[in-house]
Amino acid sequence: MNLQEKIRILAAAAKYDVSCSSSGSDRANQPGGIGSAAKAGICHSFADDGRCISLLKILYSNHCIYDCAYCVNRRSNDIQRTTFTVKELVDLTIGFYRRNYIEGLFLSSGVINNPDFTMERLVRVARELRQIHRFNGYIHLKTIPGASSRLVKEAALYADRLSVNIEIPSEGNLKMLAPEKDYPSVLSPMSLIKEGIVQYKEERRIYRHTPLFAPAGQSTQLIIGATPDSDRQILSLAGNLYATQNLKRVYYSGYNPTNLYDSRLPAITAPPLKRENRLYQSDWLMRFYHFSVDEIVNDAHPDLDLSVDPKLSYALRNPHIFPIDVNSADHHMLLRIPGVGPKSAKMILAARRFRKLNSHHLRKIGVVMKRAQYFITCHELPTATIQELQPERVRSMLTMDLRKQSLPNAHQLSLW
Amino acid sequence: MVGYNTTRLNRQMLEYLYDGTFAGLLTAIFHAFRRKEYPDVILRPQGQRLLFATTHTVETDDVMAQRVLNGIERYGGKTTCEQLLHAFLSQSDNVEILILQYARELFFQKRPIMADLGNSFVLQIHKLDRRVLREVQRVLMFIRFERSADGIYFAPFAPKYDVLPLAVGHFKHRFADQQWAIYDTLRDYGFHYHGKRVEQITINAPAFSRDSGKLSVEMEHENEDDYREMWREYFRSIAISERLNPTLQRNFMPKRFWKYLTEKRI
Repeated sequence: MNLQEKIRILAAAAKYDVSCSSSGSDRANQPGGIGSAAKAGICHSFADDGRCISLLKILYSNHCIYDCAYCVNRRSNDIQRTTFTVKELVDLTIGFYRRNYIEGLFLSSGVINNPDFTMERLVRVARELRQIHRFNGYIHLKTIPGASSRLVKEAALYADRLSVNIEIPSEGNLKMLAPEKDYPSVLSPMSLIKEGIVQYKEERRIYRHTPLFAPAGQSTQLIIGATPDSDRQILSLAGNLYATQNLKRVYYSGYNPTNLYDSRLPAITAPPLKRENRLYQSDWLMRFYHFSVDEIVNDAHPDLDLSVDPKLSYALRNPHIFPIDVNSADHHMLLRIPGVGPKSAKMILAARRFRKLNSHHLRKIGVVMKRAQYFITCHELPTATIQELQPERVRSMLTMDLRKQSLPNAHQLSLW
Repeated sequence: MVGYNTTRLNRQMLEYLYDGTFAGLLTAIFHAFRRKEYPDVILRPQGQRLLFATTHTVETDDVMAQRVLNGIERYGGKTTCEQLLHAFLSQSDNVEILILQYARELFFQKRPIMADLGNSFVLQIHKLDRRVLREVQRVLMFIRFERSADGIYFAPFAPKYDVLPLAVGHFKHRFADQQWAIYDTLRDYGFHYHGKRVEQITINAPAFSRDSGKLSVEMEHENEDDYREMWREYFRSIAISERLNPTLQRNFMPKRFWKYLTEKRI
């Protein structure tokens, strides 16, 4: 099989892993070496599905000893299988990198023989890139569940980011769909890396030349819609991982119907894109807007509202904190206003030291006034806010607008 | 009633002409301060002249320009200087007057005014700055090198603004061990890195097509086509066909870049 064939098979096998970022590391170019990492990450292309291509995201092999029902590479699936050699993969990465096609390599793999055997191959690719080719670009390695701690630690010395996918948001359902896997095998390497990072940071304070240890942290992925887990379960798990494992990112991947004959999986024809989108919005609320999980989903609302975004949904459920005065509220409260993001909140804070802001200023700064108008007071005559209008009214006004947007081709029915 | 506005109507419009460089603009600002006047427009050589106007031509003077720049840096800091340069590179209409206004306000207030976003021209400068930086970012994203027969990695590109000089540092750092050249096909100049320094170049008889940016076949390295095809194969395979979203793709990667993208050009 030629190299191009292998790329076709092993890239397609890797495409359901949604992680793409190349951020969080600013590895500098060493003299005589190639490459560097940009702190904010750089996307180099965008695939036909609109997702960014930043790293060469590919599998080392799509042979797998496991039979996870949700996975396209499961043992029982009848697909063409192939495996790279270490040299092929290293040369391909360098060749693509030199042409500015990619930021680096994101290497994962099906499990060949046993976890350690596979992990050893992944580590070898990273080691050759770093030590023989002096490659300073971004490397994201997948930790194979069940791999020994020695290999995981070695991987962290070469990789910028490590990740281990939890995939199914509750252990019971994971057991059902992937009988050979369990939570401890996933979570123990995660804790190991977390401890390593904490230790590295302490040593780094004393000794500046401590070798880097996964400088861009770790991430994981949850599959959405393959199991009946509620949004509350998913977001609590994510919130927990952010708090206890210091994860940089949790990715949510709408389940693609890759397994059509297994009755343990739901019979769907398209991935739940809207739900995935709302989960990402909630994730952003947790990471950049100081929201806690309970404020987004709770006992009364275990699932996200698909018709409005989670922040608006929060505002409609908590009208008592509004209207917020943009000229005096603190950063935390500014971020609660629907239509105000972290950027505009920062700009409001800066600009209001010079003058009081009115709605014209806010619009110019970039606040989405269509939504914000019902939740703020500013330096002008008061308008009707959520207090006067009641939440139901505000909701219907805002969703009506949305409906118009989503049906650009809707035309009036003719009467005759 | 007729006399109501006469003073205003009778005032002659005042236009400054400068050579289109940033130093030229700074000199023009110096002139405005020295002559204690406020031009209505500051025009680049190809700018639209006014019909009835007093014209003052500004000779670029590095000493004057440096003095204005020092003043801006003194009160606004380095960031303000960079912001104004970026805004200038946007070549947007009347950006010169905007920069003059900004400098005047800065010298009057004697403190950084960058954060005063309720002020319309500060906000406009802020937005122009961001727009230009975004184009720099796109150079970093969408440059595609092709290896030529003599081992130079070559990339033609056509950024909307003249931002190549701002992007070169990134490539010099990243590809320190390979020879490369980046060429702006719109403005007909580029940069060549030969292992030590980056030098500005102009190519007289280009060995690449101006439309597609493709190197001519005899100029290409022998296995260049393999890498090109492998990358295109990867690009096709990585997309999830159940989730096709061409609108999103075009938003992130506008069509004007496609002719230089290995994976997109035909």
